[in-house]
Amino acid sequence: MSGPRSLEPAANRPGPVAWAGIFAATCLLLVALNHILWLVIPALMALVLSYMLEPPMRRLMYAGVGREGAAAIVTSVFLLVLMAATLALLAWAGARAEDWQAGVERYLRGGAALLERTLAALEARWSMLARADLAASVTTWLNEYSDTFLKRQVQPLAVSILAWLPAALLGPFFAFFFLRDGRRFHGFIARAVPNAYFEKTLALLHEMHQTGRSYFTGLVKLTVVDTLALGIGLWALGLPGPWLLGLIAAVFAWVPYVGSIAGCVLVVLVAATDFPHDPAIAYWAIMLFILVRLLDDFVFMPATVGKNLRLHPLVSVLMLFVGGAVAGVPGLALVLPLLGVTMVVGAALSEILTDGRLRARHAYARRLREAEDAADLA
Amino acid sequence: MLGFLRPARGSQLEDLKALSLFADLSVRELKIVQGVLHERDYLAGEVIFDEGEQGNALYIVRTGRVLICRKGRPDSPIAELGAGSFFGDLALLDSAPRAAQARALEACKLAVFFGSDFLSLLETEARLANKILLQLSRHLGQRLRGATMLGQHAEQHL
Repeated sequence: MSGPRSLEPAANRPGPVAWAGIFAATCLLLVALNHILWLVIPALMALVLSYMLEPPMRRLMYAGVGREGAAAIVTSVFLLVLMAATLALLAWAGARAEDWQAGVERYLRGGAALLERTLAALEARWSMLARADLAASVTTWLNEYSDTFLKRQVQPLAVSILAWLPAALLGPFFAFFFLRDGRRFHGFIARAVPNAYFEKTLALLHEMHQTGRSYFTGLVKLTVVDTLALGIGLWALGLPGPWLLGLIAAVFAWVPYVGSIAGCVLVVLVAATDFPHDPAIAYWAIMLFILVRLLDDFVFMPATVGKNLRLHPLVSVLMLFVGGAVAGVPGLALVLPLLGVTMVVGAALSEILTDGRLRARHAYARRLREAEDAADLA
Repeated sequence: MLGFLRPARGSQLEDLKALSLFADLSVRELKIVQGVLHERDYLAGEVIFDEGEQGNALYIVRTGRVLICRKGRPDSPIAELGAGSFFGDLALLDSAPRAAQARALEACKLAVFFGSDFLSLLETEARLANKILLQLSRHLGQRLRGATMLGQHAEQHL
């Protein structure tokens, strides 16, 4: 993906103190954001939506429509499409409501049966596992877990989705104002910055905008590419609903590492249930996930999300653990883009605050203004 | 309080149109450019940018006068620019260090056009950006010819 060049010079890298500040700020922000998730989620949705709707809005503006009108048109069209899709989905899901619970239980049982067969095969091969009675103990635990799974996991999840729905509706509302007033707000912030720091601050705002945009728009593109790759693979394996399964797994992958594993487990459950006498299909599905994961890391991700965050893999993994520990699943999903933005801000702030020449210019300009203000007092 | 929500004034479009850089732009295109410009006020003597500093933006003189000189040598100016002229144009093409210092000769109002905004225009409004690029190329060509002629005159004089 070729974006505008970065305006950050290669030599400006934060030192150890700045890095400590960046990590601390990321953790503090995660804690704070975790407490206002009802606002963060719609705001993030609005941000992604505004990135998506900005190109058609610009086209409308170029065709002569005012910014306000163009923002209203693209947001309204999006809302109409969303409402049509939601109605169609509700109609489709409503007709199958009774099958859902039975379906979830059936797929859980299918997965458990596959695991049981695999463990039994392992026990037959290695006597050490047989002596530990691995298959029986895992099966007992799994049966107990799946018996209460619906009550403990699925029902609270459904309730929380319903509770989140009003907040999610704020997304398009926010997106409209981001599109309409985003640039004015940008200008408003810029006007508050003294002349001496103006260029560097604007470059910083641009870098932050680019970091957020490239991450989130890249994530959407990556979801489409992952859905296609998984859909084709699952279709070739003969699994039912390959595109829907691929889409769900690709959306799960928004949560790094954990999401990919959850997506893989979902597909393996379907494969194990629909092909109970052919465990090879489930193993092929696992192979497919590993292949798509590798393609993600080495081909798709550099081409979509890109290396704009420029994070060391070790730092990424450590921060994911920190994000998970501090803010759970939302922390896992938010920690990398948040770290990317705090990195940009930290690097720029450390550069601006340590630049003696800029400070001197600002002090000189302040003296000039004071002298001008006091000119008629003498 | 929420002054930033007010639409930008459109009365400055004519001033923009008068600039050679934006001479080929239609009214719609001028409005898009106007939307990405930042207005700044400088006092007499205030440094706008320093020689050697990373260049991020082009400056358009709306009112007042600006001195272009070597750092610390305002007494031997390279150029004096008045309303309707622009400087720092190379920043639209790259982020190379500024070749000279710019300093307000008198209180002035400047419009600032960021390189990043220009690059965004190149991606989203290629026709508009290409018109600016063509004018910028012509402007740089003129400056190059001027510098060459100056060099020839200096050689003849020697």
